[in-house]
Amino acid sequence: MEEFTKFVRGGILGPIKKWGTKWSLWPVHLVTACCGAELAHAFACGYDGERIGALNYGIARQTNLIIVEGAITRKMARVLRITWEQMPDPKFVIVMGACGLNGGIFWNGYNLVKPSEVVPVEFFIPGCPPTPEALLRGIRQLQIKLDKGVAENSLTFSEIALEKGKKPKVLPVSPKVVSNAPSIVVAVKKAVDWEFGKQLCDRLKAIGRAVITAKNRIALKVEVENLRSAAMKLKDLGFDHVKSVNVIDVPNEGKFIVEFLISSYSVKELMPVLVNLYTEISRKEPKISSLSDIFPSADYLEREMQDFFGVNFVGNPWKGKFILAPDTPEFPLRKDFKLEAESYVGD
Amino acid sequence: MEEIKIEVPVEPPKELETLFLPIPKDYVEDTYRKDDFLILVGPQHPGSGHMRLIVRVKGDIIQEVIPDPGYVHRSMEKLAENRLYIQNIPLVERPAIMDSANFNLGYVRAIESAMDIEVPERAKFLRTILAELCRIGTHLYDAAILAVFIGHTTGFMYPFGIRELICEALARMTGARFTSSFIIPGGVRRDVEEKTLRWVYDATFAIEKRLKSFERIFIKNPTTIARLRDVGVLSKEEAIRFGVVGPFLRASGVEYDTRIVEPYEAYEEVTWDIVTADEGDGYARFLVRVNEVSQSLGIIRQCITSMPEGRYVSEQICDDVKGNFFDKFGNLVLPAGEYTTLTEAARGTLLFTIVSDGESNVPYRVRIVTPGWLYLRGFMESLKGERLADLQAIYGSFGYFPPEADR
Repeated sequence: MEEFTKFVRGGILGPIKKWGTKWSLWPVHLVTACCGAELAHAFACGYDGERIGALNYGIARQTNLIIVEGAITRKMARVLRITWEQMPDPKFVIVMGACGLNGGIFWNGYNLVKPSEVVPVEFFIPGCPPTPEALLRGIRQLQIKLDKGVAENSLTFSEIALEKGKKPKVLPVSPKVVSNAPSIVVAVKKAVDWEFGKQLCDRLKAIGRAVITAKNRIALKVEVENLRSAAMKLKDLGFDHVKSVNVIDVPNEGKFIVEFLISSYSVKELMPVLVNLYTEISRKEPKISSLSDIFPSADYLEREMQDFFGVNFVGNPWKGKFILAPDTPEFPLRKDFKLEAESYVGD
Repeated sequence: MEEIKIEVPVEPPKELETLFLPIPKDYVEDTYRKDDFLILVGPQHPGSGHMRLIVRVKGDIIQEVIPDPGYVHRSMEKLAENRLYIQNIPLVERPAIMDSANFNLGYVRAIESAMDIEVPERAKFLRTILAELCRIGTHLYDAAILAVFIGHTTGFMYPFGIRELICEALARMTGARFTSSFIIPGGVRRDVEEKTLRWVYDATFAIEKRLKSFERIFIKNPTTIARLRDVGVLSKEEAIRFGVVGPFLRASGVEYDTRIVEPYEAYEEVTWDIVTADEGDGYARFLVRVNEVSQSLGIIRQCITSMPEGRYVSEQICDDVKGNFFDKFGNLVLPAGEYTTLTEAARGTLLFTIVSDGESNVPYRVRIVTPGWLYLRGFMESLKGERLADLQAIYGSFGYFPPEADR
């Protein structure tokens, strides 16, 4: 078998095989992020990538090229590696987009992996997103590499030495101003011209402390133990779905603020109203009863918050990670989990 | 037919542990004991973006589907807490880049509602045009992906051919094919010339003409109808209970559109109809979006013909954006409080919540709830009781786009 492989690669059939590979680069469908939109354009009728012998195909076993489209997350990195291992030899990888190079706009995110650490990469195509022309140029460049045997930049720029004296001696300070002891107030009262809201607010006062924060927005504070009964009462009023579940971490006061944004589809006058049902829980033992049996729409949103903050929604059947990978840092959205800060780099 | 119960002495394979299934082990064992099958659809599949569906089937009838999202989770909410308000504008449009204007609009409106900025009329109209162009583009994109899912390659080529016109219109107006970041607090970045608007106006007719041939080839194609009709039905009650959003909610007969219940920008000043359907099946979900495209074309034409003269950015911010962008916008500080906006993005309700502490020039917390994440539950429920072969058709009919759902 080895002899045969050697013969095919290096014998008289070698050039034919090379030529065949060059004109049949089949990228596997591995749309890893948003650059996939431009990839689709490159292979649709506007740019027609098929004319240079490349066409997306579904199954890894029958393809020989991976175009990594943008960000690779921790969860996706495994998939990328498995897909690459499943492909027959010879196989190539092109990385598209700035996120694939060094993270791009998400460079200090907690969930990103560099594709070049997962699979060997032939070419990078920078851009956010790169245009279809750039992608086709990348594929052309790979074909040229197959011909010549060496990978080359498709563009080289002449280097200009920076003149002396123009470099800043003192690096500028970061424009960010971050408060050390922030005070978080969720319900800031606002005077608005909204008659129905005032009536509704009076009705909601039986449930908890209701404040109009803007037009069509009401903040309703309840105690933790009354959360479920408050949700039941809201459901009786005609509110029928949850639009968002939000947790705000306030470490200097040792608490989490848990919010459920509840609205209605079935009652016409309640449609624009968004009630922010919120409560405060201790940061040490974050536990709150789940509303997923009253409002099934809250289910996935609660699971997500469980991942991000470690808040235990008692009654939600899901245990374990939902959106995050097994190796993502624990509770990344808590304030004590810090990301790498951006800084100016001197000489 | 009566079901015969047999005890099958089978054990789940050992390789199962390497698959990182997010479900408990006894669930898998239970499936084996009951002679059901677990089928893993994805994460590498011929769709757009990736997610894994853990499908439990009996025969080929789907019993339950457990989603395994997060393959494109790029930690957007955490990153937004670490950047200036203005730096977040390019960040928040990345979840769905074909729908960038709507995503920008939602975030920027949250800032505007916090700072009480009054947006000039001309800017409102320009924003509406951009939002509607992106809506058409996204619906066409989803139609193309649906065509790929049901194996119709011509149906993929046509919408992408039309999308080239949308990209060209966006490039002429904003300078970028996809990620324009054109909408800023107080208005838009640049004024758009009359000539460009005229081009966009003409392009809407070209799009309409091409849509007619797309209709003949794909929308009214008997095979398309056969694949989509009566699959993945969501009744009105179910759609409300599981909090489905956008065109998928309207396809189940609920007249809810954020553009109508809580009008923003120029939507009150143009005439258009809300598109609904009663069937709630895959074809209704597709048709609602097709009909929305023609409504959006109408909105764009009206906006261009009745485009008011005036400023493109509010004088509360600055006279001219050019040249002093960072000076004017770099140090925005929102007053303390919580600000929530609802926007009708192409795939449904998009919610942005910004929490500010009143002192920092970075947000304290940004909550982004994208339409994909909201209708995921309804999507999973609609799969129950369908045949496995219809999974792709239902997936496509929802236009589920994982980068948008995972953020």
